Amino acid sequence: MKELVEYIAKYLVDKPEQVDVKEIDGDSLNVIEVKTAPEDSGKVIGREGRIANAIRTIVKAAAAKQQKKVNVEIITEDKQQGGV
Amino acid sequence: MKSVKMKGKNVEEATKAAVAVLGIDREKVEIKVITEGKAGMMGLIGGEEAEVEAIVKESGAEEAKQILQNILDKMGFMAMTEISSENGDNVVISIKGEDMGRIIGKSGSMLKSLETLINAMIWKFMGKRYHISIDAGGYKDKREQALQRLAADVADEVARTGESKAMPRLEPSDRRIVHLFLQEDGRVKTFSEGEGKDRKLIVAPKEV
Repeated sequence: MKELVEYIAKYLVDKPEQVDVKEIDGDSLNVIEVKTAPEDSGKVIGREGRIANAIRTIVKAAAAKQQKKVNVEIITEDKQQGGV
Repeated sequence: MKSVKMKGKNVEEATKAAVAVLGIDREKVEIKVITEGKAGMMGLIGGEEAEVEAIVKESGAEEAKQILQNILDKMGFMAMTEISSENGDNVVISIKGEDMGRIIGKSGSMLKSLETLINAMIWKFMGKRYHISIDAGGYKDKREQALQRLAADVADEVARTGESKAMPRLEPSDRRIVHLFLQEDGRVKTFSEGEGKDRKLIVAPKEV
């Protein structure tokens, strides 16, 4: 699932080499964290979150096929600085 | 992306060699010069060969098809993609294979998400906008026919009662189908009103 998100994100940004995707295993839910160069996060989120939501939809569908639950989080500059 | 690197006496020779190796027309290849090369003394000593990289330029449609195939593979679906129509920047890619229900999603939500992503990725990759539409298992045709039947029912009712009727909650692409379809109907006219999610299509009697 991580490769899927990484593949898509690298196409959308100006600095693909700075795309960093982590998958964190949880009991009932895995979380995929997407980090990009600060100026690139908007490109992965899209206008009104359209791109991010599309990524979530297809990741959820792929995960459901394997009876898994996955959340996708795009880390923005604020969150990186705020340490949330 | 397919590419080949070739050396030659000069850039022109290296380019010719690379194009020959790829076996396609010169216009379908983008040439990147790696080293210009230098002519040696009297063409004999101290010269340096030129080197170029020839990259095969794919059309937006080809790239989109390949990207969609890669996404479906990574999602774990056994499915094949093909370009079912290409008209300038308007491209339709069809998905065939198993698990069509999941690939289409609830009311086509998965197809819509795939479209959003592929269009954004191709825009960035090709540097220009395409209009890429994705179909699976004939879903788009079936949906179009269902919408047209619904539109015909609404038009009948409007013509009978003489009162306008709204068709809410249609996607922009759905509204387009209804507008086009009811253009042919001499009894009614259509227009849209409202903004964003509240935008709805109105079917009204044509004034005589």
